[in-house]
Amino acid sequence: MAKVKNWHLKREMEYPYEENRPNKQIAYIFDTNKCIACQTCTVACKTTWTAGKGQETMFWNNVETKPYGSYPMRWDVNLLKEMPNQIWDKKTGVYKGKTIFEDKPNGELAKGWRPEERDYAFPNIGEDECSGTVDKGAFFNGIHDVWMFYLARICNHCTYPGCVAACPRKAIYKRPEDGIVLIDQSRCRGYKECVKACPYKKTFYNMITRVSEKCIGCYPLIEKGEQPRCVQTCIGKIRMQGFLSKPGEEREDNPIDYLVRIKKVALPLYPQYGTEPNVYYIPPVHVPKEFLNQMFGPGVDEAITNYKNAKNDPKSLASFLMFGNTPKIVHSVKAEDDFAVGYNEKKEVIVKVPFTEPIFVRSFEDTQLGTFRHNTP
Amino acid sequence: MGTNRRDFLKSASLSLTGGVILSKMQLGGFAEAFSFFEPLDITNPLAAYPDREWEKTYRDLWNYDSEFTFLCAPNDTHNCLLKAHVKNDTVVRIAPSYGYGQAEDLYGNKATARWEPRCCQKGLALARRFYGDRRVKHPVIREGFLKWLKDGMPRELDGRVPAMYMQRGKEPFLRLTWEEAFEFSAKALDNIARAYNGKEGSEKLLKQGYDHDMVEAMHEKGVQTLKFRGGMAPLGITRIFGVNRLANSLALLDAKINNVGADKAKAARCWDSYAWHTDLPPGHPMVTGTQTVDWDLSCVEHSNHIIVWGMNWITTKMPESHWLTEARIKGAKVTVIACEYSATANKGDNVLIVRPGVTPALALGFSHVIIRDKKYNADYLKKYTDMPLLVRMDTNEFLRPNEVDASYKLGEISGYIKVVKDGEKAPGGLKQNMPFITQKMRDKWGDFMIYDTVKKTAVPVNRDDYGNNMVKKGFMPALEGKFSIKLADGNTVEVRTVFDMMSEYVMENYDPKTVEELTWAPVKGIEEIAKEIAKNAGKTLFAMGMGPNQFFNNDLKDRAVFFLAALTQNIGRVGGNVGSYAGNYRGAYMSGLPTYIIEDPFNIQLEENKPATLKKYFSYESAHFFNNSDRPLRMGKTNMTGSTHMPTPTKSVLVSNGNSLLANNKGHYEAVVNAYPKVEFITCLEWWWTGTCEYSDIVFPVDSWGEFKHPDATISVTNPFLYIYPRTPLKRIFDTKADIEILAGLCDAFGDLTGDNRFKDYFKFVGENRVDVYLQRIIDNSQATKGYKFADLEEKAKKGIPALLMTRTTPKFVGYEQDKEDKQWYTKSGRLEFYRDEIEFRDSGENMVVHREPIDSTFYEPNVIVGKPHAAIKPKSPQDYGVSIDNLSGDVRQSRHVVKSWADLKKTQHPLTAANKDFKFIFHTPKYRHGAHTTPIDTDIVAVWFGPFGDMHRHDKRNPYISELYVDINPKDAKELGVEDGDYVWIDADPEDRPYRGWQKDKNSEEYKLARLLCRARYYPGTPRGITRMWHNAYGATYGSVKATEENANGLAKNKFTNYQAMFRRGSHQSCTRAWLKPTLLTDSLIRKNNFGQGIDKGFEIDVHGATGAPRESFVKIEFAEKGGLDGKGLWEAAKKKIRPTYESEDFLNYIKGGFVKKA
Repeated sequence: MAKVKNWHLKREMEYPYEENRPNKQIAYIFDTNKCIACQTCTVACKTTWTAGKGQETMFWNNVETKPYGSYPMRWDVNLLKEMPNQIWDKKTGVYKGKTIFEDKPNGELAKGWRPEERDYAFPNIGEDECSGTVDKGAFFNGIHDVWMFYLARICNHCTYPGCVAACPRKAIYKRPEDGIVLIDQSRCRGYKECVKACPYKKTFYNMITRVSEKCIGCYPLIEKGEQPRCVQTCIGKIRMQGFLSKPGEEREDNPIDYLVRIKKVALPLYPQYGTEPNVYYIPPVHVPKEFLNQMFGPGVDEAITNYKNAKNDPKSLASFLMFGNTPKIVHSVKAEDDFAVGYNEKKEVIVKVPFTEPIFVRSFEDTQLGTFRHNTP
Repeated sequence: MGTNRRDFLKSASLSLTGGVILSKMQLGGFAEAFSFFEPLDITNPLAAYPDREWEKTYRDLWNYDSEFTFLCAPNDTHNCLLKAHVKNDTVVRIAPSYGYGQAEDLYGNKATARWEPRCCQKGLALARRFYGDRRVKHPVIREGFLKWLKDGMPRELDGRVPAMYMQRGKEPFLRLTWEEAFEFSAKALDNIARAYNGKEGSEKLLKQGYDHDMVEAMHEKGVQTLKFRGGMAPLGITRIFGVNRLANSLALLDAKINNVGADKAKAARCWDSYAWHTDLPPGHPMVTGTQTVDWDLSCVEHSNHIIVWGMNWITTKMPESHWLTEARIKGAKVTVIACEYSATANKGDNVLIVRPGVTPALALGFSHVIIRDKKYNADYLKKYTDMPLLVRMDTNEFLRPNEVDASYKLGEISGYIKVVKDGEKAPGGLKQNMPFITQKMRDKWGDFMIYDTVKKTAVPVNRDDYGNNMVKKGFMPALEGKFSIKLADGNTVEVRTVFDMMSEYVMENYDPKTVEELTWAPVKGIEEIAKEIAKNAGKTLFAMGMGPNQFFNNDLKDRAVFFLAALTQNIGRVGGNVGSYAGNYRGAYMSGLPTYIIEDPFNIQLEENKPATLKKYFSYESAHFFNNSDRPLRMGKTNMTGSTHMPTPTKSVLVSNGNSLLANNKGHYEAVVNAYPKVEFITCLEWWWTGTCEYSDIVFPVDSWGEFKHPDATISVTNPFLYIYPRTPLKRIFDTKADIEILAGLCDAFGDLTGDNRFKDYFKFVGENRVDVYLQRIIDNSQATKGYKFADLEEKAKKGIPALLMTRTTPKFVGYEQDKEDKQWYTKSGRLEFYRDEIEFRDSGENMVVHREPIDSTFYEPNVIVGKPHAAIKPKSPQDYGVSIDNLSGDVRQSRHVVKSWADLKKTQHPLTAANKDFKFIFHTPKYRHGAHTTPIDTDIVAVWFGPFGDMHRHDKRNPYISELYVDINPKDAKELGVEDGDYVWIDADPEDRPYRGWQKDKNSEEYKLARLLCRARYYPGTPRGITRMWHNAYGATYGSVKATEENANGLAKNKFTNYQAMFRRGSHQSCTRAWLKPTLLTDSLIRKNNFGQGIDKGFEIDVHGATGAPRESFVKIEFAEKGGLDGKGLWEAAKKKIRPTYESEDFLNYIKGGFVKKA
């Protein structure tokens, strides 16, 4: 066991391998306040990567409604209830409990559990179901008395993946060029240790090929400078993919760095497990803080405050306005006058949008074309 | 793209520092092939990995040979240009085009990239439908129908087709050649038109039991029994509107049958679309004269407060949802009003959960607070609304100047209206720069009176006295007050302003406490939301959804919401307006469409660049009468159906692009059992085998959107784009044709049958592969597209780029001219009209804006007008029509006008509850995110997400498919019924008419087995007690699917003859609905703008003023049917896992509370 630095936990932790951050780390921001649970991402992924035999119930990407939705069923409750003393230090934000690498049973590399086949049935169970019964009329404002929200999920391409730690064949690795975590399809022998160890249950066993597989971060697109399919097709415009700089190397103009590390509006999913996941969520503003702290760690209050204040921060706003406007990977963002401008790695402009949509008023009569323009046709 | 060996070696050696020690064996050929024999020594997989050749697999999976663009446009208002990825000539994947940010107009205005991306899960799954087993693969005919044709089309004495030939839905289909399909169809239509032609034909229809007034409306023209419907026609301005063009061509058939010329010829009848779908908000024309007020959804960018009211925006306007969530990021408040904790509720700053169907009362409740607190804008009301106009209290009609001064003469009016004198021609096409009416109409309209506070007397105002113009003229109208006016005949009458009467009604009946009882909206919510509206006067957008529109009181809902919006000046502004969001409808943006639809078939323009001659021979009618089992609305003996609305008997139906008319219709099984057998020929054009195909006689297979060989165009009412369906390079997958080729083929067949070559010329440009000629004609004659060249538009569309529609503004929003430029509305007074003094409204007690209880979906006496006695509410009582006051049957309820205060109403009961206490649930059927109507929902990878029961492995063989429809019910209600989560239940609505009339005769019949709704129950905590919900989108059971559930070993509800796949074992969500007709929607008197162009007329107008139905209304009993567990035993497996509402294990409850993690 090595000692590695986990910035989510603000402390060192045990991991089977030495810390080795990739040259670039793929990272995503998902804004739960925008997610509409349309499953377009899910179908985009499904039709691209998992349309084959043995993959019928396999969804590398899924969207579930919290609290009642879970795919596979009970994926998060099962682990939460096994992990003792999940405590964050109120003052310092340091995680005082144990991670899955620290609280593991004898002889295993990480704590986990393995779903059964039927746990993958009913992928959209709990859709739209709220946390308590509404018995008659009601009025909520601010934090809702009963609530639900949508949680879109993919592989977190963790800095310290549970799957990598657990694989007895070492068939899972992290690409140094982009941090994408892959299961080598030619070496995997389907021991399902990764399925057991991944706290997010985002590695899957294929009963036809008899090997395990998982989200590949759409690396064939990443290699061309394009964002993954689930991001490109996200009509809620909740997603942005980019690269997160190493701790201490943050750039203000990198929208991922800015929103994750500087403004801290986007938070990791169940950071207490210690994997340092790289999908960052903007927590839902209408949900009670206790649930959000359980799911996203201790930074929820700050994240929501800063999110609500984004309207007064052109840099945040410019970054938010980049979501979903371009299939290309946005490396840097600037607020220039009334526009938000996105640049690629070569510093070329790839997208430019106004902060507020323009209103065009055409002249009533077009004498040249001999017609009149009406809003009531 | 794969890593080659040299690169590999390079990266391997570079990464040695990272700690990788390569196995030597790994480099050898043999060892590489059998690498699993040799353990690798990888010290740190976070740092490097030796052999990454395999990564090529996924690159290969991603790579594709080519791509092309097509337009996906189900009736969801979005319209997405999508890119298909093609590999081995097969579409393997679909992606958004990312071309919207490059859209522009002729003036150089550009859209922004914020419109990207446009697609959805249903569109991305289309590749599976293009190749799916439910494609209509070649023309087919129903076996019994072929026999009827072969037997020489025999009939009974009264004209009926013998029942033995009419076994629709129960027979196999046989393949036809294209020639046969066209010929047989033309022969059948010709035969029907002749059978019911002339006096003899009419007599047969009367013998068959059709309403006398309907038969009369045919004027003895047999062609008038032929009904045509291009569904959601704006979605295909040539291929779908072409159905109307086909209908127009039948004037040639009538000319032949009756041996008359063009002057006396009549064509067939066409059905409505927007109003048929209950998408039309029927109160909009009552207030504004226009079909609908709405706004592109991006307008929320300019608003401070957005009220999403009965609209499940994030599930039904998916690509436009980001405007809402982004407006919120930028500081706008979002208020969500719904009858459950809806999907959209989780995006709300304010969430108000109310009883369904009470929108008028709620709007009046908000108005109460605003009037009480004097937060309304009196100046605006005086200038732009009818609020200051005087109404006589003796007649409840407007006080007219000539009643006060007999010598009063109507002056000329010229403010944004052209009065066309006798003999003068109305302005045509592109030249229309203002509304126009006939002189006769202007004379009939007359002028109005106000009470002038300066002169202290009543003075006349005319239509020009509007907005600032009125102020300039020095009028200072009183907004409130009762006045005594001496009439020219010497009598004195009491008059009151409209506002005076309205505010009295609102203040006396809709205080927050009463409204809380009536609507379930807590007082706090009513007060806070009303304050937010008042605070954001001119900056509040009302996004009204389909929910409130699908109740019987829908016109009152519109009138009440406009009243609220008028109080706070939230009409006609980019950030403050009313909008109604249901369906795509505004064909009128292509105002040049008549040049195509009603080209004169007797005088066809065969030259490309010359204008067509127009003459309309067909007539429109509402399909709601057909839906009402081909009956008009009567109360006692009185016909409540205005003569302009009167339908004819329906003997044939041709439908294209839509499953709603015949298979997803309200009261579907009433139609299947009692109405369709009276129709002699049903044909449809489809690319996917729908329920409509199940009940058709001939089915024509058409190209999917991916295979278009003829271009087409469309628009959207929620975004500013003009769309072309480009031609695609994908080869036809089956033996299909374009819709428009089929219309042309039918026309050709009539040519062969009649020997009239004009039939063959009518779609000439289709045969020449030049549909663009028709498209360019339409573009050239439409005010919003004039200047565009079709060829340019198509080239851009092929790259995934639409154009901007050239309306007055982008984003477009109705009311811009009226608000910003002081132009009058399309009403008699030119003002926003809230008081309707026409006889039909006074007789209905709806001359003022009132609240009526829902007609079925209420716990109280249905359809009651809620209010204490008021001088302006004096409807005709049931007794006035010779009907007993105690008669509460469905048919009578429609015209039953009873007024009760809330205090009295709340003591009443729904008549079903009174008869059987098990009837206690409101059952409503909204639309949802996993289907655009029925369009993609049986695609496996979409269906599995449709609800909680989606299971790819179909573990439970009772599942009709890998997913199934279910009813959402409050867990406490379900427990009272003894129903567990996931159990199957029976749902029954009013036994008088549902699931169909006469079901009681044989409860073991095939029909009853088909029609009675059986589904799973889901414990849904977000719906209030007493309120149940089922999604609207799914394919219902058909005879063939029901049979399959019994005969298929695997239980799949898939018709063996047709591959039709139902999402129900029995019945459908339409088992519990029925047709409803409302008298105030059937008037001959309402003034409204025509559908196309700026002309104003009155009475029925297709999709503007007409019946809308009320498909959200039903009141049901629910009873346990089967256990939800496997094999009908025990609990459904998910409930067993203790993660379902009310079944939670302790750890799950702790999870919901957030109890596993602490900050300490």
